Amino acid sequence: MDCRESTSHLLDYQRGRLGPEREEELRAHLSGCPSCSRSESIERTLTDLLERRLPQHPAPIALKLRLAAQWPSPAVTKSSWWERWGRSWAPAGAVALLLFMAVPLYYQAVSSRRAGGAERMIAEAVNDHLRILQSGHPLEVESGNFHQVKPWFAGKLDFAPAVRFLGDPEFPLKGGSVGYFLDRKAAVFTYGYRLHVISLLVFRAESLPWPAGDTGGSGKARAYEKTARGFNVILWREGELGYALVSDVDPTELRRLAAKLGTA
Amino acid sequence: MVLAGVSESRGALGREALAYADGLYNLARYLTGNDADAEDLVQETYALALRAAGQFSTGTNLKAWLFRILRNAFISGYRRQRRNPTVGGLDTTDPHGQEAAPGGWPRDDMELDQMRNVVAEDIGKALMSLPEEARTVVLMDLEGFTEAEVAQVLDCAVGTVKSRLARARATLRQLLKDYAR
Repeated sequence: MDCRESTSHLLDYQRGRLGPEREEELRAHLSGCPSCSRSESIERTLTDLLERRLPQHPAPIALKLRLAAQWPSPAVTKSSWWERWGRSWAPAGAVALLLFMAVPLYYQAVSSRRAGGAERMIAEAVNDHLRILQSGHPLEVESGNFHQVKPWFAGKLDFAPAVRFLGDPEFPLKGGSVGYFLDRKAAVFTYGYRLHVISLLVFRAESLPWPAGDTGGSGKARAYEKTARGFNVILWREGELGYALVSDVDPTELRRLAAKLGTA
Repeated sequence: MVLAGVSESRGALGREALAYADGLYNLARYLTGNDADAEDLVQETYALALRAAGQFSTGTNLKAWLFRILRNAFISGYRRQRRNPTVGGLDTTDPHGQEAAPGGWPRDDMELDQMRNVVAEDIGKALMSLPEEARTVVLMDLEGFTEAEVAQVLDCAVGTVKSRLARARATLRQLLKDYAR
């Protein structure tokens, strides 16, 4: 493989799209060609910049609600008049009327599924915690210094993870990493307690199936507690952010850490 | 009158379709350059998809289908009537492409390090300065679409997608290198 050919395959190589044979050829060329190997690291840098730093624009919740009303889910599709409304959607008057009717219906459908939704959030929090425990390198930034951990997230998330508790000798902060909570990115802070690992996930709270009774308002947040698969989980939201604290430590200890983090 | 089975499958399709709202909105935002038009475009996309739901065959790629509808909606007159018709361009000729295609590779490691320090805003700005098609190709690549899927969305050959993506990335490298100075 010559340099010209190698350069044209770099992106496919990165994406794992070359066949094993071509990949081997390219790898052999890269190891013997400093210029192409540099081009390869530049391609990776560009991909990394685009994947991590390109500003992302998620759809606003109001738009999602409108779309849900426009294209009703089976839970709200009960009779054919609804279908007819769905199809005669175009005129602006119909839009307003549809919104007027659909939004409460949507909320009703959502709230009836809330209990199940909260279970889903609990299950996801436990899964995330397990992923962190099982990962060979759980921490992408390893430091007990909060002022090193927090700035590390800048540019890696589409929100600023606000965390009040910086760690203390009892619950030392071990470090952080970027994870996912359901469909969105999450900041993962890892605290220790004796020999236990405690994960704190911080994520955008909007459009998640929060447990009923949650106000989502500001001030002291009411927490929702649950034990799943032997792990204790505390979920709460404060303003625009959602928090999930997961560990196998005793619920009393976990609650103490939650209190330090700002739950009621 | 719609049969219950059809209505149910349409509902399921709708639920799956809504899962792509963020990705579609992101592309719409980079195509139109503002939130109001992006919202209109995404809403129009779903309205068109809903109308054409009967033509969608289960098992085919719903995400690619929605992206195709969005892009076609954007091209077919959407831009003409909008507030900001000058964002980017629909031209397939790349204003930066000619000079960027052969070069764009930072000359030394210092330049590479500088490139690593480019801020988010500049990366967004660099992407916005590409023509519409280049922006679409780059964003769809980031969304995890294969070149064959992008080719379906753009209605062109896979080889064309490959070369457009390479050219768009070369331009971005050049622009980011310049911003980093």
